[in-house]
Amino acid sequence: MSAQAPALPTRLSSRFEGIDRSLPVWLLAALALVFLMALPLGWLALVSVTGERGFTGAHYLEALGDAQLRKAFWNTLVMAFWVGLGSLALGAPLAWLTARTDVPGRGLIRSLVLASFVTPPFLGAFAWVMLAGPNAGALNELWRALTGAEGALVNIFSMPGLIFVVAIYTFPYVYVMIGNTLELIASDLEEAGSILGASRFSVARTITIPLVAPAIFSGFILSVLQALALFGSPAILALPAGFHTITTQIWGMFQYPPRIEVAAAVSIPLLVATALLLLVQKRLLGRRGYAAVGGKGGQRRRIPLGMWRYPALAGCLAIMACAVFLPYGILAKAAFSRAWAQPLTWDNFTLRNWTFTFFDYGSTQEAIVNTLELGVMSACVGAALAALLAYVARRKVILGHQLVSFLALAPIVIPGVVLAVALFIAYTRPPLLLYGTLWILFLAYVTKEMPVGYSQADATFRTIPPELEEAGRGLGAGRLRVFAEVTAPLARSGIIASWCFIFIGVIRELSASIILFTPGTKVMSVVMFDLKEEGQFGAIAVLGIFMLAMTFGVVVLVQRVLGRDFMGVRE
Amino acid sequence: MSGVRLSGLTKRYADLAAVEDLHLEVQPGELVALLGPSGCGKTTTLRLVAGFLRPEAGEIWVGQRCISSSAAVVPPERRRMAMIFQSYALWPHMTVEENVAYGLRFKPDLARTERDRRVAKMLKVVQLSGFESRYPGELSGGQQQRVAVARALVVEPEILLLDEPLSNLDANLREEMRFEIRRLHEAFGITTLYVTHDQAEAMVISDRVAVLNKGRVAQVGTPEDLFRRPRSRFVAEFIGNTNLVEATASGPSSVAKGPLSLQIAADGLAPGSPVLVSIRPHEIKFAPASAANMLPATVRRASYLGTAVDYEVQVNASELVLRVTAPVWPRLKPGDTATLAIDPAACVPVSDA
Amino acid sequence: MIKSLVFLAGMAFGSAALAQAPSVEAAKKEGKVVWYTSLAVSSAEHVAKLFEAAYPGIKVEVHRTGSQRVLQRVMQELKANIKNADVIHTSDAGHFVLLKEKKLLMKYAPKGVEAFPAGFKDPQGFYYGLRATVTVIAYNTKSLSAADAPKGWKDLLAPKWKGKLVTAHPGYSGIIATHVLALSHLYGWDYFKQLGQNSVMIVQSAVDPAGIVASGERVVAVNGGEYTFYQTKKKGNPLEIVYPKEGVPLVVSPSAIMAAAPHPNAAKLFTDFTFGREIQQQLADSEGLYTGHPEVTYPSDKPKLKDLKLLQADPDELEERSAEIKKRFVEYFGA
Repeated sequence: MSAQAPALPTRLSSRFEGIDRSLPVWLLAALALVFLMALPLGWLALVSVTGERGFTGAHYLEALGDAQLRKAFWNTLVMAFWVGLGSLALGAPLAWLTARTDVPGRGLIRSLVLASFVTPPFLGAFAWVMLAGPNAGALNELWRALTGAEGALVNIFSMPGLIFVVAIYTFPYVYVMIGNTLELIASDLEEAGSILGASRFSVARTITIPLVAPAIFSGFILSVLQALALFGSPAILALPAGFHTITTQIWGMFQYPPRIEVAAAVSIPLLVATALLLLVQKRLLGRRGYAAVGGKGGQRRRIPLGMWRYPALAGCLAIMACAVFLPYGILAKAAFSRAWAQPLTWDNFTLRNWTFTFFDYGSTQEAIVNTLELGVMSACVGAALAALLAYVARRKVILGHQLVSFLALAPIVIPGVVLAVALFIAYTRPPLLLYGTLWILFLAYVTKEMPVGYSQADATFRTIPPELEEAGRGLGAGRLRVFAEVTAPLARSGIIASWCFIFIGVIRELSASIILFTPGTKVMSVVMFDLKEEGQFGAIAVLGIFMLAMTFGVVVLVQRVLGRDFMGVRE
Repeated sequence: MSGVRLSGLTKRYADLAAVEDLHLEVQPGELVALLGPSGCGKTTTLRLVAGFLRPEAGEIWVGQRCISSSAAVVPPERRRMAMIFQSYALWPHMTVEENVAYGLRFKPDLARTERDRRVAKMLKVVQLSGFESRYPGELSGGQQQRVAVARALVVEPEILLLDEPLSNLDANLREEMRFEIRRLHEAFGITTLYVTHDQAEAMVISDRVAVLNKGRVAQVGTPEDLFRRPRSRFVAEFIGNTNLVEATASGPSSVAKGPLSLQIAADGLAPGSPVLVSIRPHEIKFAPASAANMLPATVRRASYLGTAVDYEVQVNASELVLRVTAPVWPRLKPGDTATLAIDPAACVPVSDA
Repeated sequence: MIKSLVFLAGMAFGSAALAQAPSVEAAKKEGKVVWYTSLAVSSAEHVAKLFEAAYPGIKVEVHRTGSQRVLQRVMQELKANIKNADVIHTSDAGHFVLLKEKKLLMKYAPKGVEAFPAGFKDPQGFYYGLRATVTVIAYNTKSLSAADAPKGWKDLLAPKWKGKLVTAHPGYSGIIATHVLALSHLYGWDYFKQLGQNSVMIVQSAVDPAGIVASGERVVAVNGGEYTFYQTKKKGNPLEIVYPKEGVPLVVSPSAIMAAAPHPNAAKLFTDFTFGREIQQQLADSEGLYTGHPEVTYPSDKPKLKDLKLLQADPDELEERSAEIKKRFVEYFGA
């Protein structure tokens, strides 16, 4: 034994040395992801086909047979389609103008698009009720005062109204997609066409537009996806007009007596539809992703607009007026008015809304605390998890890393309402009874914001060459140490950006929160929705301004940290 | 075929003049290279000729037409030119055939069949027959470059503009393509402006070379003119290697530097005036005996280049250190002494600019 | 430890048939009472503050939402085994029938409730009417003169009102559910079918129409809690109320203590407080409500209950037909 003893330990230790000791960390992270995603969705699918006595298709039949549901489904399709087109109509010209021409005030336009991007759509919808309600809306009042007409210029409580309001907050997605693509298209491609004899119009038609086409389709699909999943705007604009969308219907099924199983049966097809849409989008973008093909030297030169400079700027500002100036203005007015529909005279001015909201209304303070708590927690855990997962996928640390990437991005296809239904089903039964606590909201938020955090982390790691880590490992540091001491510090600004994206996403989340909250676990968006049901416009405006202030504060922080534009569209 | 005339061309960006009072005349059918270091204004000049930029002052004439002036610029699509870009600018969403045929679409009286015929013919010229339905993303760098050439030539432009088209190719291919471009030029005879920063390229390809410095033409001439008779320090240094000797005129065609005396290629020098003399390294020989300009020297450094040896040689009894490019044989080592023989015709006085 | 003892004691007391006077010390030890209510938020918060002032050390946690939502919350929480609510108060009497059936309520009679009229008391003693209101029509006086205003429920069917009406939703509000049931008895479901053709704007809470009409967004509210209209008018808004002679549905809003209340003593103390004369008078004075308390006096500009033709709704029927009421409303009004 003693003669052999020296040999045995070295053989053992060399076997251990062969194993990457950091493996458990990565495996754990991947498992956490699977748990987050698979468990609730599994329950959702199960419940949709389970009845009193085992498996049944009754819930699906009930869903199909319900005329109200079918109508709601149709309404949703119509709305999403037109929102997609509307977003294109707004986003594409704006992107082209700021990326390719010498329109003045490009920085300003970009900041305003950013403002539209971070404004919660339901807050925008609410503001537009005050602007364009057919009788008391400010714009209609103005119209009547100017023209002496009887009726309203616009009625926001209608399908076109809903489409409009959703589109002005969804178009930034199109803007970013098309803007980024235009950045990649070097000017020479257009110059080559024009020197060969093509007029400016022909160049646009035969060269620019085909190259941007994948981004256009992609942006359209993204907008449609966003629109499909919205709850707040339809609840605010469609219900008073007497029509439902799928999301408001699903929410309605949670009223007493609840029809959870039917909700599940409706959610699954919605999920399948969004998954298909996303698949199409990926295909489009992946296959014909036109990076500049050819040698270096491609520059982007700006097209001079000549006498159209200022009219173009005016057009851009008009769009931003709808998304930003007018709504923010009316919110500010309502926050300080006793009666929001009356002009802001000195008698109408009051700070009572502020005292009421923050001090008298019992739910507010707790909701703000909850929101901040959840925001910080979700952002910290989410950003950390996203960083680990992105690392695993990019450096191919474990087998099945492609699955990690897929799962991390998969929540994009899950509309918030559907996720809430799934989580509700999963966590209102043993062993994990999380309903009624902040934890269920926490899970919802981390899951929902994972794609955003992950994409950001992934993009960041892409910029860090593996050689930097390999150098460390070559000198004896384990993978985990290298991650902590080399990679993470370099990725710091990207991880902070990830954190901020998640935080902002959480504080404005409504469609999942509205189903998962309980009176003890309200968050700000839910409180605002509650207040809307009581017609407390002043209080909603106050909370809305507060929420916007928080959001913009974080955005400024990100821009400072990253040193670049929040949405990643570079100058 | 028309020529191009640039007179008094000026283009400013903010306070910086990229091109300043530039004059150049390109004869019909001639290939002139615009050569210079980065920032000298060669690309700006090319883009002015293409019509992408409007000059602050000066004019551009093609044949009898004034196509650019500070008042008006004929837009690029109506200048009847073609351009080959540094990045090739091939359209990734069109096939090779569609790329090449693009310019022909804007000739209204061209029938479809005629168009196809021309495209096929041009592809054959650049040796890309059979590649019609490929996409640029599927081609190698060299093939992409040839598509760019075909696209430009097929429209039979009056003026051909090339913006560093070879800079993205590897060394071997670059050399091969130089000769190819020259061959095509001789075959088609189109008036051509060729921008490059690579002098070897310029020397091989062009009829004449215009060396640009700080927005102006420093010297224009055949490659041999520029090489053997540079007129300024800048041109002498930019084209090839040179030795610059600061000396003082000692006679109508001689200068002195310390104890050394050199016969140079000049006449009527005012004795006592400062003269800057440019001597090309390969014009200095290690010779046993010669009539003029015999300078005893010691070898300080020798670098074997394969086809030649690059020596650094100190002239005895002087601070003067000269670069000499000599044949491989006889080989000298550092420390060896030798006598340098320099043909007076190789001692060219240059201005100090 | 003490908390669970108190809890057990409370349970034991609750299941007894006697109403025990709650001990203030025990209530203070519990520290708070959680109130799920559909009373308008300002009124609810006001009542809460008064209680906190009277009993320092006991907080009132107000969770205000529409009656239907209150029920949904309670049922959802109980299903997940969450015991959060102490006192539940909505305007849908049918809910209390349901909750009583499911044995989810504690039997407790607030002090002095014997003097209340029969319509405010559950015969078995599990819930009592905290407040009452009637549903009425209201209109904006800036847009409409008294002469042109509708006088009765049937007037609202006229085509001239198309696009100018607002209604609250029985799917959210117990007041409106009661209203719909009562009117369906009076005129049949055809009434609502026709009303639905008039492009009526839909809001959720019975509190909401007041704001909509006051702002002029819509000219006439076809229903709504009279107390909110009254308050809105009192604040100086251009609003006037119509009490149709054919009858106004009376909505009694019951209050009860949950059998599984985590703070039973505080709950009882709170219940006594809210049914006491001071609060009942407050509800009448500043909130414009009617109450069952015999000693409460009402402002002179409010019609007395006995002067109105009241349409009563049976709580059992409300409970039984709850789903039907909502379904029909959605069918006729769209959402």
